[in-house]
Amino acid sequence: MFAMTVLYDPECGLCRRAHQWLAEQSKLVELRFIPCASDEARRHFPYLDHDLTTKDLTVVADNGAVYFGPKGWLMVLWALARYRDWSYRLAKPELLPTTKRVVSMISQHRYQLGRVAGLSK
Amino acid sequence: MTIGITTYVVYLAVSIALTIWVGRTIYKNGRVFLIDVFHGNETLADSVNHLLVVGFYLINFGYVSMALSLGYAVHDAQESIEALSTKVGMVLIVLGLMHFGNLFVFSCLRGIRRVRPQGPPIEPDAFTAVQQEA
Repeated sequence: MFAMTVLYDPECGLCRRAHQWLAEQSKLVELRFIPCASDEARRHFPYLDHDLTTKDLTVVADNGAVYFGPKGWLMVLWALARYRDWSYRLAKPELLPTTKRVVSMISQHRYQLGRVAGLSK
Repeated sequence: MTIGITTYVVYLAVSIALTIWVGRTIYKNGRVFLIDVFHGNETLADSVNHLLVVGFYLINFGYVSMALSLGYAVHDAQESIEALSTKVGMVLIVLGLMHFGNLFVFSCLRGIRRVRPQGPPIEPDAFTAVQQEA
């Protein structure tokens, strides 16, 4: 795997901030960012359920593997040189349920969190 | 030679001998370990090993030297042995801590190497067709 596409929500301030942060990190795998459910996203992945990608972060690897929600977040961590170790740690069977719960909670409340942090448009 | 001087001489002899013994043990056994860490690159392993051991000797001899002074007079053999046991005991504890510090450095170096070649941490949810850019 050499590149991954991150389908992010351009409407959410938290996601835009995360996008900026990710752009600054040194990566082991190239990351491409495309707004979810955009024409560009539909062109790249014609068979993907694009309504689903608006609900939570989706990562598509260049081999077509789709990682949705918490799995997508883990894959983004895995792509970063400094946090690859953490992706393995958080994906361990003992920690995975907690990881999923926390990530889902952040995702569901991303607009509110973005507003509280003053990141909305 | 007064009993005080004898105490110091014995302290120095024992401390230096112990430090050299531990240093040589680390040097001998650490080498094998480092060669493994550096994928059989013996030159690099020897270099890192040497640097680690030099640091080890500097800290230990530094401590031995700083801890030399007793601060009180020793009058007979019993007091001399008691003073020696405290001093040498401290040297042993510092040596032990340094030794574990060294092991920690080795295991960190090993950790760096081990993590690199692994694949994704998790199985994908699905697969989709990817339209290659024209």
